[in-house]
Amino acid sequence: MKKSGWQLVTVLVLIISVMLLVSGCGGGDKSKDDVKVGVILPLTGSEAMFGAMEKNSFEMAYDELKAAGKTTVGGKDIKLLFEDDQGKQDVAKSATEKLVNQDKAAMLSGGYSSACTNVIAGSAQTMNIPFLIVTGSADDITKKGWQWVFRGTAAPASKYTGALWGMLDNVVKPKNVALIYENTDFGSSSAKGFRSVCQQKGINIVFDQAYEAGAIDFKPMLANMRNANPDMIFAVSYVMDASMIVKQMKELDFNTKLLVGGGAGYTMPEFKDNAGSASEYVASTTLWVPSVTWPGASDYFNKYKQKYGKEPDYHGAQAYATMYIIADALKRATEFNNTGIQKSLKATDIMTIMGPIKFEDWEGYSNQNKPVTYVVQWQKGKLEVIWPEKVKSVNYVYPVPDWKERT
Amino acid sequence: MELFGQTVICGILLGGMYALIAIGMTLIMGVMKIINLAHGALVMVGMYVTYFCFQEFGIDPYFGMFLSMPVLFFIGCLIQKYMINRLVEVESILPENQVLLTVGIMLVLTEAARLIFKSDYRSVATGYSSSTVFLGGMSISVPMVIGFFIAMVFTFLLHLFLTKTDLGKSIRATSQDRDAATYLGVNASRITMITFGIGSALAATGGSLLLPLFYLWPDIGHLFTAKSFIITILGGMGSTMGAIIGGLILGMAESLGATYISMGYKDMVGLVIFLLVLLFLPGGFRSLAKR
Repeated sequence: MKKSGWQLVTVLVLIISVMLLVSGCGGGDKSKDDVKVGVILPLTGSEAMFGAMEKNSFEMAYDELKAAGKTTVGGKDIKLLFEDDQGKQDVAKSATEKLVNQDKAAMLSGGYSSACTNVIAGSAQTMNIPFLIVTGSADDITKKGWQWVFRGTAAPASKYTGALWGMLDNVVKPKNVALIYENTDFGSSSAKGFRSVCQQKGINIVFDQAYEAGAIDFKPMLANMRNANPDMIFAVSYVMDASMIVKQMKELDFNTKLLVGGGAGYTMPEFKDNAGSASEYVASTTLWVPSVTWPGASDYFNKYKQKYGKEPDYHGAQAYATMYIIADALKRATEFNNTGIQKSLKATDIMTIMGPIKFEDWEGYSNQNKPVTYVVQWQKGKLEVIWPEKVKSVNYVYPVPDWKERT
Repeated sequence: MELFGQTVICGILLGGMYALIAIGMTLIMGVMKIINLAHGALVMVGMYVTYFCFQEFGIDPYFGMFLSMPVLFFIGCLIQKYMINRLVEVESILPENQVLLTVGIMLVLTEAARLIFKSDYRSVATGYSSSTVFLGGMSISVPMVIGFFIAMVFTFLLHLFLTKTDLGKSIRATSQDRDAATYLGVNASRITMITFGIGSALAATGGSLLLPLFYLWPDIGHLFTAKSFIITILGGMGSTMGAIIGGLILGMAESLGATYISMGYKDMVGLVIFLLVLLFLPGGFRSLAKR
């Protein structure tokens, strides 16, 4: 919708500069003895913050593996080649083609936004190159029967809510829910999954709306939602929209018994920083928290925080775990060509900081790991696990106090 | 009724914020006829200056505004003097190339901000960021009201400046006919430099006032460039009041669209109005008043 003349010009200039860069670097000296792994992440653009976190995590895992001598497989060194997709699909496609055709990458990884991941997966499939997804989680990516595409650390968007349903059945028991989501692949995939389970369980969706990410003012939508009087809100947003939404709910004095975020934004440290006191008691589904019991999880969290001076969230953990999966698959691979790596990825059975990873075919998904999910809630400025009950770190607060009753 | 009232209030206040961002562009594009695609990036730089003042020295964004304005004035002058003027003064270069130049400036500013501040989202939390006044059941955001009034004041001052002062008159003379103005003793390149500087300083004001409400990252500029363009054309090129009119129309259209159609189509509502104006009212809403 926003594509207009000047943006076209911008894109053109970008493409030209990328082309210049590519041709400029083409003649570089390349040793033949490396197993090259191409990693495509948004290193610039509006998603760059996540891209940088994932790149850091990749490198941290790589350094650890190197120290343990695990980056040399069959006499060859594993080498990571990072490419920037700028969060744009066209750039993601050219980055994929560059990595495969020019750099001769043996396999690909990365993929942050669902839209870009979809493009990379499509290209990888046509070029017969194994692609291990880090984050992109729209359902359809692993539902197309693409045998070259693997998704381990990321759950399909509609399965993010796994743990939430247990909590809704036992605690919240909502009759009327409101659903808001950003109009992206990830947002509408999550919304679709949520809607269909609501239908099975006979929960009414009294308000159902998509929104354009990056808005300054969410109040008209929120005021409208208040009129629908929902028991609970399920919201799928990236981090800054998430904090704008809860801040403006507070400004409107819009009270609801529980707001649950569907992964992505509501669990991030930036969400708490930006939303301030409005973040208190906001719950979210998530794939990972630093306090999970998987081996190495809290070590990763502490080490990252120490090294980069920032708290990582589940996106970083996904990248970190993915690097371990790659090293493991390449170690077991007998041949370093596409079919060899594909076979070895398929046989993966490894424990990571994201839990056990196996690439299985189920419910129409292919090469998709079965995810473990949690429900978390911000309590006193800390993200605490509140569901499933056997792994909870604190008790849930439900229904949450009204804005005016908080001090 | 309450919903409608809330929507209208949100629309007016949002329009005021949009107008703030667009005032600088009405001056640069509307008066000087320079198509400046780096406008949003200048707003972004202004926001970072304000953010830096807040973070390092604890200066409140409303005071930080008075620091970011001179900084941006200076940057704007440099851009005009050493970049745009050089292009404009060479006759063999097509004037359209100036558009490409501003795209380049935008990219450089954005990436420079990324280099210094990383891509992280940043925001300032002030005591009044979320303060609201309730009118019946409708909430009114205090910082937005302040922004709205500052937008009005600045537009009024800009109007006075352009119509009453010598410098303002020289600016208008230069924009009407650069050669004729030069013959009459106006130093055209100095005037364009100052104008671009003022336009950039106004962009910084918009950024500083928006900072307590919104958030900041290096690519935020695209959003502002797009909105200011639409507003400048809606309001009418070359009109100082255009920013307020265009801003209010866009803000109202987006708010009403979000409430009564769907927030997913919010941008579409604004852009449809934009297209209709271009097709049927090419002079912007200002031309209605002239009839």
